[in-house]
Amino acid sequence: MKEKGCSVTTSYRTSIPAGTLVTGRWRGGRYLVQRLLGQGANGIVYLVQQAGTRNLYALKMGYDALDLQSEINVLKALQGQHNAEDRDLSYLVEVDDFTLGDREIPFYVMRYVKGEPLSKFLTRRGGQWLDLAGLNLLKQLAALHKGGWVFGDLKPDNVLVSAYGDVELIDYGGVSQNGRSVKQFTEWYDRGFWNAGGRTADAAYDWFSFAVVCIHMLAESRLKTAANQLPQTRSTADLVQIMNQEPRLRPYSNWLKKAISGGFEHTDEAYEMWKRMISRKPVRHSVRRTPGWLKSAFAISLFLLVCAIYLTLR
Amino acid sequence: MKQILLITDGCSNVGQSPVMTASLARQEGITVNVIGIVDYGTIGELGSLEIREIAKAGGGMSQLSGTEKLAQTMQMMTRKTVVQTIQQAVNRELKHILGKTSVEDLPPDKRSEVVEVVDELTETTPLEIALLIDASASMKPKLAAVEEAIRDLMISLNAREGMSRLAVFHFPGRHGGEDAVLDQGWTSDLSGVRSLFQHMAMRGATPTGPAILKVIDFFRYGTINGNQTRPEDNDEREGMLGDYVV
Repeated sequence: MKEKGCSVTTSYRTSIPAGTLVTGRWRGGRYLVQRLLGQGANGIVYLVQQAGTRNLYALKMGYDALDLQSEINVLKALQGQHNAEDRDLSYLVEVDDFTLGDREIPFYVMRYVKGEPLSKFLTRRGGQWLDLAGLNLLKQLAALHKGGWVFGDLKPDNVLVSAYGDVELIDYGGVSQNGRSVKQFTEWYDRGFWNAGGRTADAAYDWFSFAVVCIHMLAESRLKTAANQLPQTRSTADLVQIMNQEPRLRPYSNWLKKAISGGFEHTDEAYEMWKRMISRKPVRHSVRRTPGWLKSAFAISLFLLVCAIYLTLR
Repeated sequence: MKQILLITDGCSNVGQSPVMTASLARQEGITVNVIGIVDYGTIGELGSLEIREIAKAGGGMSQLSGTEKLAQTMQMMTRKTVVQTIQQAVNRELKHILGKTSVEDLPPDKRSEVVEVVDELTETTPLEIALLIDASASMKPKLAAVEEAIRDLMISLNAREGMSRLAVFHFPGRHGGEDAVLDQGWTSDLSGVRSLFQHMAMRGATPTGPAILKVIDFFRYGTINGNQTRPEDNDEREGMLGDYVV
């Protein structure tokens, strides 16, 4: 859940200007702030350059030392899980505090991931890229779930896509241990909001959010209408109805229905089914009929060729 | 852990000072949080000052919120308060052992271990929240949103590993002597409850202070009508211990 506007901590939510040198209190690491990258529920993320090098990193300054540390703990645990076959999930570089005036601001430095949010990516490249981005996203989730974690606050803004559909999850502030309560969530993608189940972190919670993200990407206005109705009447039936109405969602609907009802055994199964679905999807590429004039022109040119050959060989 | 969450849209005007009664609640080990609803017009200088003061005296936090953000604000506050209460206890221990004053003063490595413990306790500590809803005339159009937010809070509480339950009060009652009305006693399940607020008589008076006293009584005795009731607390305590064993 977002916590914007909390009166207790307003003062350090103002962003830090480019050119500021951030020096760690404990380890002395020095980073030059280049620009603002984004804002999560727990803090603000900047693009920074490590002083004296050309290395670029993302640096997150927390609003609250405990909340940020809690997020760091998750990142550390994920780091431990990385193994040879999987992609490196870890991206934690350094953890420290930064003294600004009379305040200590906790921060951590992580790998900088280039890319754009899912919605922007799909608008630019076309909705059919959801096939690939979705597949890669499921792969990431599967790795997370295998380690006993649940992402929680899955939404388009937290999914970063690089040029060829590679996917990176950002903002681990909402990650919870399996079986615990979901720490952060966003209404539209929340199982509880749709009266479809609780907020206990399990793999199915992420599947549900994933499904709503897909619906959001391909049928935003319909989703908006459904979300704005009376809270008591909101249900998964509304989501199913959107799938049936929106032609762009129809190829995905079997998968999506299963995700919404939590019907997969585990995330690997969800991944495999998605994979089968996108490879079998009826290719709707409009086969352009060859125009009549082209056919006759081809026939004439063929005839001329034959004539030409005949004349030369004669 | 005990919390009162007061939801109001104006100033108290009858009876004891709510700041005083909030302070009393704090002494009883109950944290008082306040949300000021600001849908139509403003809550007024005086109103927002009182809200801040009540929360300060009650050891909790205060925030202004529109009804559309109410559910979110309630959950954020509840969670933050749990964390803060635990943090305060941890800080006392730290001071005792290390002479340091707070978690923030620890180097990152040590901080990491302490936060792990805080997170664990945040998830498992038994939690009781009494919601105290201002039902004076101006609040009437907002009550549907308040009820929705309460139901949403219940969903979040139920996801916790520790025991969580809530009770709902509104104030004032129908006649002059009734400072607060119990709408829903301790519960962990609202799905069977058709409508939280029934038999509401909207009156102009806002006896916030006396209403807080009633809720303190309820925490103590399980009723708002004095101390003549059954001590059903015992078996409950056992349940709480059970939660710690995990």
